[in-house]
Amino acid sequence: MRRLRLIALGLLLAGVAGAQEPAGDPRAGEARYLAVGCYECHGTVGQGGSGMRVSPLPLPWVGFELYVRRPAGQMPAFSDKVLSAASLADIYAYLQSLPRERKANEIALLQELGSK
Amino acid sequence: MSSLKQPARRRDFLLGSAAGAASLMVGAAAAAETVAAAAAPTPPATTPTDTSARVELYGTEHPGADFMVDVLKTLDFEYVCANPGSSFRALHESLVNYGGNRQPELLTCCHEESSVAMAHGYAKIEGKPLLVMAHGTVGLQHASMAIYNAYADRVPVYILLGNIQDATWRRGDVEWAHSVQDAAAMVRDYVKWDDNPVSLAHFAESAVRAYKVALTPPYEPVVLVADAVLQEEPMSEQDRLGARIPKLTIPTPPAGDSAAVAEAARLLVNAQHPLIICGRSARTPAGIDLVVQLAEALQAPVQDRHFRMNFPTRHPLAGGSVADADLILALEVNDLWMATHTQTPVNRLGMESQSVMQRGAKVISIHSGDLYGKSNYQDFGRYSEVDLSIAADAEATLPALIEACRRLIGSRRTGALNARGAQLAAASRRRRADDVELAAAGWDASPISTARVSMELWNQIQHEDWSLVSETVPFFSGWPLRLWDMSRSYHYLGGHGGYGVGYGAPAAVGAALANRKHGRLTVNIQCDGDLNYAPAVLWTAAHHRIPILNIMHNNRAYHQELMYLTDMAARSNRGIDTARIGTGLYDPNIDYATLAKAYGVFSIGPISDAADLGPAIKRAIAVVKRGEPALIDVVTQPR
Repeated sequence: MRRLRLIALGLLLAGVAGAQEPAGDPRAGEARYLAVGCYECHGTVGQGGSGMRVSPLPLPWVGFELYVRRPAGQMPAFSDKVLSAASLADIYAYLQSLPRERKANEIALLQELGSK
Repeated sequence: MSSLKQPARRRDFLLGSAAGAASLMVGAAAAAETVAAAAAPTPPATTPTDTSARVELYGTEHPGADFMVDVLKTLDFEYVCANPGSSFRALHESLVNYGGNRQPELLTCCHEESSVAMAHGYAKIEGKPLLVMAHGTVGLQHASMAIYNAYADRVPVYILLGNIQDATWRRGDVEWAHSVQDAAAMVRDYVKWDDNPVSLAHFAESAVRAYKVALTPPYEPVVLVADAVLQEEPMSEQDRLGARIPKLTIPTPPAGDSAAVAEAARLLVNAQHPLIICGRSARTPAGIDLVVQLAEALQAPVQDRHFRMNFPTRHPLAGGSVADADLILALEVNDLWMATHTQTPVNRLGMESQSVMQRGAKVISIHSGDLYGKSNYQDFGRYSEVDLSIAADAEATLPALIEACRRLIGSRRTGALNARGAQLAAASRRRRADDVELAAAGWDASPISTARVSMELWNQIQHEDWSLVSETVPFFSGWPLRLWDMSRSYHYLGGHGGYGVGYGAPAAVGAALANRKHGRLTVNIQCDGDLNYAPAVLWTAAHHRIPILNIMHNNRAYHQELMYLTDMAARSNRGIDTARIGTGLYDPNIDYATLAKAYGVFSIGPISDAADLGPAIKRAIAVVKRGEPALIDVVTQPR
C-alpha cells in the first residue's frame, strides 16, 4: 500500500519534475549510497531488504528527493545537513544507472516456483 | 586424602595398613611408593617402617550420584549437554561409568550457553527436554541468557545445577567462589520451577516433579540443584530406606471451557471475514493439521507469526489481513498487540502505534500464557483487549472448536464459504507471484542476495526430507518462508524467543542432533554475529558427528544495530557515515571457512559470486549425508 502511495505521489509530481532532474554522477552516487547506509535497508543494488525495492526507482527526482527528506513509515529522514543535494543527486543517478533486472521467468530456479 | 577426614560425615573410609592397602592406592602417593621401591630395595630412612601406621583410602563404590542417574534414566533423556564442572563431577562420572553413557549420552559443550541453546533447539524438534548440567555460580551465569531465550520461547529445558550447599565441605577459594546459598536464584525469574533437594529421596521426587512441570503447557525451563555432597557421598541409611523413584505422569494439557468454545465457534461461523493468527499454536506436529482443519472448515485465512511452524506456507488460505477482519482468533499469540497495531518507527521509542483493526471487530484469544506469568521480565508484551479470552492450550482446544464449527456450519453457507475461500486463494497466489518476482531482484549481485541463497538451497534440498532450523525473519528477509514449500513441524522452528543473540548456532546443532535419528537433512542459515558468540559449538557438532549444513549469512555486521545507528545519526542530524563504527565485522573480514576448519568441520568459502554457490552446496550436502557437519561461508547482502 505504501508503495502504491509512493507511485501515486511520483506520478503526481512527474508532471512538474522532468525539467528539474539534476545531473548526478552515478559512480560517486554508488559510493555515497554505500557510505551513508542506503544499502543497509535497500540492498547494494536497490533490490530491497528491510526497506523497499528502489531499483527500478518508483519515483521521479522530485518525489525521490521529497521522500528522502520527509519519509513516511520506518525510514529515517535524511536532511540536507547530513546528505547534500549534490550527494542525493549522485545517489539518484546511481539508482537510475542500474541495469534492468531479469524477470523471474527469465531465471531457471524461479521459473519453477512461478508455475506452482 | 587424609586431610579430609571428617568422621562425623557420611564417608566410606577404607582403612588398613599401608601394606594391606597397597593394591588400592591411587594417585600421587601410590606412584611415589612405586618409584621408591624400584630405586631403593632398602627403605629410605623417611619411609614408614611401622606396619601399624594407617593410610586412609577414600572410596565410594556407590555414590549418591548413581542413584541420581537411576532417577534421570527413568525420565528418558537421550542426551546430556555439559561443559565439565567440578560441582557435578560425581554425576558426570556416574553418568558415564555407572550409566554406561547411554540414555543419556554426554555431549561435550564448550560453553553453557551452547548447552542450553542446544537443548532449546532439540526440544523444538523432539518435543521433549534434553538434560543440561551446569556448574555452580559461573556455569549458570554463562547459561542464563540461553535459559531466558527458552523461557520466552516456551520451551522445556531441564537443567541440573551442581553446587556445594554446606559451607564446611568447600575446600579452597575456587569452591567458595563457585558455591552459592540459593543456586537457582539468579534465573528464578525465567524458569518455571526450581528446587534444591537436601536428600536423595528429595532429589528423586523433585526430579520427577521438575520434568512434569516443564512439560505442562506452557512449556518452560526448570532447574534442579544437585548438591555435590549428595552426589559424591554414599547414600545415607535414611535414603536407603526411604528413597524411591516416583512414577511420572505428564498432565493432559488444559483444554478450553466447553461453553467458551461454543461461543467462539458461534462468533467464528457468523463472522464475515474471520482471521486466524497463530503464534505458537502448533505445540506438537499434530497442531499444524488442526489449524488446517479449522481454517478449511471456516474458509478463513491464517496469518502465521512464525514462532513455530503453524500452517503450511503454500496453503491457499495462508495470509490474510488484520485490517480486513471482523473477527480475529488468536492462537497462542504472545504479541497480539503487535499483530494488531502499526509499529512505531524504529528510530523512536514510545508507543505511537495505532490499531489497524476495523472498528467493532472482535477478538478471541486462546492462550496458555494466561495460566502462567511472572513479573520481572516483560516478554508478555502489551496488554491486549479481547472479547473472549480462553485460558487454555490452543492445540488441546482446537478439536472441540473444529467440531463445534462444523456442527454450526452444517451444509449451510457452503457456497458463501467457498467463494470466500476462492478469493483468499487468489490473493495468496498474487502475493506469492509478487514474492517470486521480488526474489529475482539482485539475482546476480555480489554480495549475494538472500533470495538467491534461499533458492540455491531450495533447489538442492526440496526432494530431501529436510529441516530448516534457523530463524529467517527478519535476518534473511523471510525468504525461505516466502519461497519454500513448508508443511511439516520440522520445516521451520521459529526463533530465539528472548531475542538473545548467540542462540542460532547452538540451537541449530541441537535441532540437528534431534533430526539425526530421523535421517533428516538439517539446514542452518547462520548469522555471522550470532556465530561469534560461541563458535565452538561447531566442534561439538564435529566431535559428536552431528550432520548439519551451515550456510553463513555473512553480511559482515551486527546489521540490526548498524541500521539503528544510521537511524540515530539521521535523527540527530549528524555523521550518517559513521554507523559502522562499533557495528561492523570487517577489517579484517572474518574467515568462517577457516574457523570451521579449525573446529574440524568441512568448509568452503568465502563465496561472493552467486554462480559458485550451487556447486558448493552440492559438495557440502554430500558431506552432511555422510553424517558430518559442513559450513559454507557466503558473503551476503544485508538482509
